[in-house]
Amino acid sequence: MIRNTNAIAIRINRQFLRDRRFLGLSMVVPLILMLLLKYVLGSLPQLTRLGVHISDYAFLVAAFLVHFLAYVLSTIVLVRDRKDGTLARMFVYGFRRREIVFGYVGGYSTIAAVQTALVLILTKYLFDVSLLPDIVPVALTMLALAVVSVGLGVFISNFARNEGQVFPFIPLVIVPTALLSGVAIPIDDLPGLLQWFSYVVPLRYAVSVLAGILQEHRSFSAELAPFLALVGVGVLLLGSASLTLRERE
Amino acid sequence: MHDSSPPAPAIEVEDLYKSYGAVRALNGASLNVIRGEVFGLVGPNGAGKSTLIKAICGVLKPDAGTVSVFGMDAGRDRHAIRRRLGYMPQEPALYDDLSPRENLVFFGRGYGTTDLDRRIRESLELVGLRDRQGDALHTFSGGMRQRASLACALMREPKLLILDEPTAGVDPTLKQVFWRHFHKLKRRGVTIFLTTNMMDEALRCDRVAVIRGGRILVTEPPETIRARGRTRVTLELAGGGAREEEVSGYEEQLPRLLEGYGLSGDVKRISINQPSFEEVVLSMITESRGKPAETGKAPAGGRNGDPEH
Repeated sequence: MIRNTNAIAIRINRQFLRDRRFLGLSMVVPLILMLLLKYVLGSLPQLTRLGVHISDYAFLVAAFLVHFLAYVLSTIVLVRDRKDGTLARMFVYGFRRREIVFGYVGGYSTIAAVQTALVLILTKYLFDVSLLPDIVPVALTMLALAVVSVGLGVFISNFARNEGQVFPFIPLVIVPTALLSGVAIPIDDLPGLLQWFSYVVPLRYAVSVLAGILQEHRSFSAELAPFLALVGVGVLLLGSASLTLRERE
Repeated sequence: MHDSSPPAPAIEVEDLYKSYGAVRALNGASLNVIRGEVFGLVGPNGAGKSTLIKAICGVLKPDAGTVSVFGMDAGRDRHAIRRRLGYMPQEPALYDDLSPRENLVFFGRGYGTTDLDRRIRESLELVGLRDRQGDALHTFSGGMRQRASLACALMREPKLLILDEPTAGVDPTLKQVFWRHFHKLKRRGVTIFLTTNMMDEALRCDRVAVIRGGRILVTEPPETIRARGRTRVTLELAGGGAREEEVSGYEEQLPRLLEGYGLSGDVKRISINQPSFEEVVLSMITESRGKPAETGKAPAGGRNGDPEH
């Protein structure tokens, strides 16, 4: 299993390195969006009057961007594999479902890790957040989130036959994520039913860990429960993706 | 000693159905491929050729019917079957950003193919891509991508080679090379199942099945299919005038026909216009509307051997 999983992860990374334009855009887009956030929201006097510090939310937005990009990218690429016949060829040539799912997670997580590192560095300097004492738990949380996002992408790709069909699934996942994860609205302020619904939103757990560490200055051990919940969601999603990846149309 | 047992089948398809929404891609298709033969599946676009191939490879779940390969169920035992399979889909199904060599290395890892370097080298050599093996596939023409895809199917030295339009977009010289290689593989005992739209290729197969509307119309050697066509016999008489008659299987019918004319010196010349294989297949497809299909089973004691698998 490990040999085939590695072969897929290496192949994906090799493809990324060949497609320089795509690689460059994947790395630069989240940085541009963070810059936009800084200069648009940072200049709004209304927020300052309300006592809102944009820097408090910078890492939560960064986490949202990493989640969004990794999810969309992995969904589209897997759907393309299905449409182009390369997924069927992989199956016929001996690759198993779980090897494909973990291979994709391995391949895209490498990209997502680089993307996350760049976003973290830029966010730290843009928003002047002291990150050094918390760099390990923050990076771990972001990486776990990236893996979860790829698992979600692989899972969702089962429901689309072509790239066009992926698009309805983007807002279907991303809008509830933005509203129910705690990035835009504190979860405690949501109506009771939606608070329950937020438990199925993976970003909720990452936001909980990051907010606890960076806003409330709690230790990582105090945030272990949401972190483990994030890992649990990841295990669940990868398991579901391995079981549901359609081998026979 | 004569062995009267029927030849061992490589592929058995029995009453296969598959629909995509309202479209019925397979409509009770049945056929039987003997081990060691080159079997061609011909039919118009949308007849169900690729769907049938996908069912044989175990990447398609039929609505009804059975497919077995080397005696194993194509669905349940698909992993065991695929170990013996070389598969070339209709679309190139390779990664455009990678070179042919990188694609072959990747797909070759799936079953942990041994001696992969040599096999890749030989396959790329055969399809004439040795000099371009390091270039990204997106710089290739359609025909070159087909060749890379064929190399991918050949590198595993399979027992059963399934090729969906293997020579589409390939130039005539290379097509000859491919066919020589297919027959070389056949001599080694490899069963080859291929689809084609080119009738000159169908003539190179041991047996051909004609498919239309998801049903097999006929499965026979190409020369037998050709003989099904009606031959037009024209008799030009010395005294002027001519008489025309259409007969099936003219070799048997001609003596009877000429007997009526006494086969005397009055008959100056006999010209025979036999329809081409392509014309026969086309007329079969046209005339098949509303008629029940044949079962498409292999004849007992077929002309192909049963090499070891």
